[in-house]
Amino acid sequence: MFAKLKKKIAEEAATAPRTGGRIPRSMSKESITSVGADSGDDFASDGSSSRDDLPSQILRKNDHIRKLEAKLADYAEQLRLLQKTKDKLEIALEKHQDSSMRKLQDQNESYQSNRAKMAEGMALALEKKDQEWMDKMTALEQEKEALSARLSEMTEQSLSLFQKRDDLDELEGFQQQELAKVKHMLLRREEQLGQQERKLQQKEGELQTAKQALAEAQSRLRALGQEHQESGRLNTELKAEREELLLEQEEMELKISQLESKEQELQQLIQQVSEDFQQSQQNTQSLEKSLAALQKEHDELKLQHEQHKQKALVEEEERERTLGDLQEKVSSLERRLESDLSEDEHLQELLKEKCCLEQRLEEARAQLLQERTSHSSTFSSQEAQISKLNSNVAELQTLLRHKDDSNKAYRERTDAQIASLEQQAQEFSQKLKNTEQLLAASEAQTQTLQAGWGEERERLQQQVATQRQRGLERCARLEEQLTAAQTQKDAEIATAQEAKRELEEQKAELERRHAEVESSLHARTQELQQARAEISSRQTVSVEIAKALEDSRKQKEELQLQVGELTVSQQSLQQEVTQLTEQVAQKETEIRGLQEALSAARAETEQMQAQATQRDQEHEAQLAALRQEVISQTEQLDSCQSRVSDLQEELETMSGQLQSSEVREEEQNGTVTVDDLDQLQKINKDLEQQLGEKNMTIKQLHQRLAELKRTFQKELKLKPDSETDGKEKVLEGRGDRQERQTDRPSAETSASAVAPTPAPGPSPASRSFGTTVINSSDLNDSREINFEYLKHVVLKFMSCREAEAFHLIRAVSVLLHFTPEEEDMLKQTLEYKMSWFGSKPSPKGIIRPSISASSNHWS
Amino acid sequence: MRILILGLDGAGKTTILYRLQVGEVVTTIPTIGFNVETVTYKNLKFQVWDLGGQTSIRPYWRCYYSNTDAVIYVVDSSDRDRMGISKSELVAMLEEEELKKAILVVFANKQDMEQAMTPTEVANALGLPALKDRKWQIFKTSATKGTGLDEAMEWLVEALKSRQ
Repeated sequence: MFAKLKKKIAEEAATAPRTGGRIPRSMSKESITSVGADSGDDFASDGSSSRDDLPSQILRKNDHIRKLEAKLADYAEQLRLLQKTKDKLEIALEKHQDSSMRKLQDQNESYQSNRAKMAEGMALALEKKDQEWMDKMTALEQEKEALSARLSEMTEQSLSLFQKRDDLDELEGFQQQELAKVKHMLLRREEQLGQQERKLQQKEGELQTAKQALAEAQSRLRALGQEHQESGRLNTELKAEREELLLEQEEMELKISQLESKEQELQQLIQQVSEDFQQSQQNTQSLEKSLAALQKEHDELKLQHEQHKQKALVEEEERERTLGDLQEKVSSLERRLESDLSEDEHLQELLKEKCCLEQRLEEARAQLLQERTSHSSTFSSQEAQISKLNSNVAELQTLLRHKDDSNKAYRERTDAQIASLEQQAQEFSQKLKNTEQLLAASEAQTQTLQAGWGEERERLQQQVATQRQRGLERCARLEEQLTAAQTQKDAEIATAQEAKRELEEQKAELERRHAEVESSLHARTQELQQARAEISSRQTVSVEIAKALEDSRKQKEELQLQVGELTVSQQSLQQEVTQLTEQVAQKETEIRGLQEALSAARAETEQMQAQATQRDQEHEAQLAALRQEVISQTEQLDSCQSRVSDLQEELETMSGQLQSSEVREEEQNGTVTVDDLDQLQKINKDLEQQLGEKNMTIKQLHQRLAELKRTFQKELKLKPDSETDGKEKVLEGRGDRQERQTDRPSAETSASAVAPTPAPGPSPASRSFGTTVINSSDLNDSREINFEYLKHVVLKFMSCREAEAFHLIRAVSVLLHFTPEEEDMLKQTLEYKMSWFGSKPSPKGIIRPSISASSNHWS
Repeated sequence: MRILILGLDGAGKTTILYRLQVGEVVTTIPTIGFNVETVTYKNLKFQVWDLGGQTSIRPYWRCYYSNTDAVIYVVDSSDRDRMGISKSELVAMLEEEELKKAILVVFANKQDMEQAMTPTEVANALGLPALKDRKWQIFKTSATKGTGLDEAMEWLVEALKSRQ
């Protein structure tokens, strides 16, 4: 850093004595510009050469030559001026030396005073800062409190918001629930309605079935009534039959009574007949007694007769036996007739025998008849007795016969009578029998009839009974059935009625319910309408609510946004707070650090004072070095002066040459030859380059100074925590610098020793510059880059087309710290170069520092 | 048409410039200074300035701002650490009065890298969505692969055409 300054000072010292002050630089600058202008002119002429014809070119050349001549005159003047300026420069150098010394002393003093001031100022600033920080702290705490209050407010607000939102949610929930309830109720009602309708339909179906059942029951009732009628008819028929049968019974009873009367008659008859019979029997008994007497007589007679008979029978038997013997003798005689005589002899014998036998028989017979007549006489006697007896008997018999007859007659009569009676009786009996039979039959019949009747009756009765029973049963049954039916019917009717009633009731109920339902429906519809109205109102309300909700939502959103914003702001504030607290903490730490730093700084100030003293010493050393440098520079200056004198000599020779050449060629300027001019130009260029380099170095030195200032300010501004490091760094840097500074002078001296010639050239300068740059630390890296950048940009600026170069003016002017005027001038020049027309802009102001004599670069 | 290619050092500005100009990947060294090339795209000639992006020469960017039609701001998508610096540089650049009318095209470059941020991430990191009164667009590009450059240039051409 300082090495450059030193170097520059050395260089300046080398160049200054001869040129004197800053004039040569400006001079060279002017020369550069003029040369540039020349070249530009050339360029312009070259550019236009393609179009212009030769004469004009010649004219131009002539003009050019004229210009050159004028320039040569200028150069002569400049040379003179240079000489003058050289003197001036010498004076200026001395002045400058004095002034630099003074300045150095002043700077030293000012530096020390500044140090003290700065230390005081720092202490004051620290106190101030302390106070400020305290104030800030309090302000921050207040702010924090305010923020916390706001935060609490916000939290409350947010809580209330949340509550509101919750309430809203709840309200929405309630509303939805209520809506759901109403919907549910409606649905239920509808379901109930449907159920009741279904029930109604069911009931109607039941009613129809009941009606059908009723119809069936009625038809059955009708059928039962028909049956009943039939059974009644049958009953009447049976009753008629019964009446008939009763009539028949009565008839039969009448018949029976008749028959009984007949019987009584017949019994009376029988009694008469029996009385008659008893009389006849008494007659017969008497008769029988007579008959018995007669029979006894008859028996006696019979016995006599039988005795007679037996005597007759015994005589007959003797006769029969004599007959039998005679028959046997007849039979034997016959047989002997048969057997001994011939048949006729036999027959005559037999017939003789027969007539004998028959005579005999007749004799027997006349004997028998005699006997018989004897007997018949006896018998007639006996028969007369018998006849007498017979007569008696006849008489008796006649009597008897009479009697018999009478008896017989009687008997016959009685018999007849009896017979008749018997017949009659038989008849009667038969009749009776018949009647009895009839009766019996009739009785049987009656009995049978009765039995049958009874049976029949019984049967009938049974039947009747059964039938009656049956009928009754049937009737009963029927009645039962009827009753049952009736009951059933009644029941059915009752049930039907009940059912009907029930149905009616149900119907009524249903109707009632229907009505109720309808009413309820109506009510429901009303409710529904109401509900709808309510819903609509609610919807409107809800819409309103929704609106309100939306509003509230919007509000909420806004609020949320606000909240968000607030939260964000809160967060940011919190962050700020935290940051601030952190900062506060930091500040506190900083303060502490600062306090520490203050103490450290105080220590440091002390140190720095020590350092300053050291530095002063160093400065003094530097000063000494600078003085040495100045001496060396003066030496250089001397060499330069010698060179200048050489140059002057050259110039003189050159001017002589020039004069001679000019005399030879154009006789315009006889002082300077072209060769001299060229040489001069070369030297001028060299000088310009040197000057430019010096300018550069001066600028760089200025920049460094500014940087140093900045870094110093930075160091002052640096935070306490980084301060120590920074300071250390700075100290290190300083150490380096000091080292370098210590190293530099020798290097510089060696450099100056190596290149004491007045034309060091750009290459070694740049090389040395490069080496210095390479040696430097980070801070100088950027310098290097800056330099490289500058180099690159300038290269580009020079090499590229005008159009591009125009864009680079800014960069170049920024890099080279051109003033706006300079920049404008550059622009104008470029514009002039770019266009075929217009005049070359005249350099003004700053380009000629010798005229303005401003010392901007040094301050 | 004047276009500036800006961005932090090592973002790939020079590679993009030469990719646009000659369509090749060139080996580059850190640009201390600038490169200026004429790029023709869709019959439009662009004077493209690639300004060095090193920290010490970034302040000189503002020397080139005048008469700039568009700014191509190249971001190294894989360099998450320096995204903040990139953003501050971009913001500082966009605040310049001379660039008020310039179109901004952001190249989220080095998308071929594995840890590369997505264009949206890059856009958010650069705070692009907050930009008002600025026609801007972000493209994911890979200068070495040559992807995304055509779309970006197409958009830029359309944007420049529509602006005229």
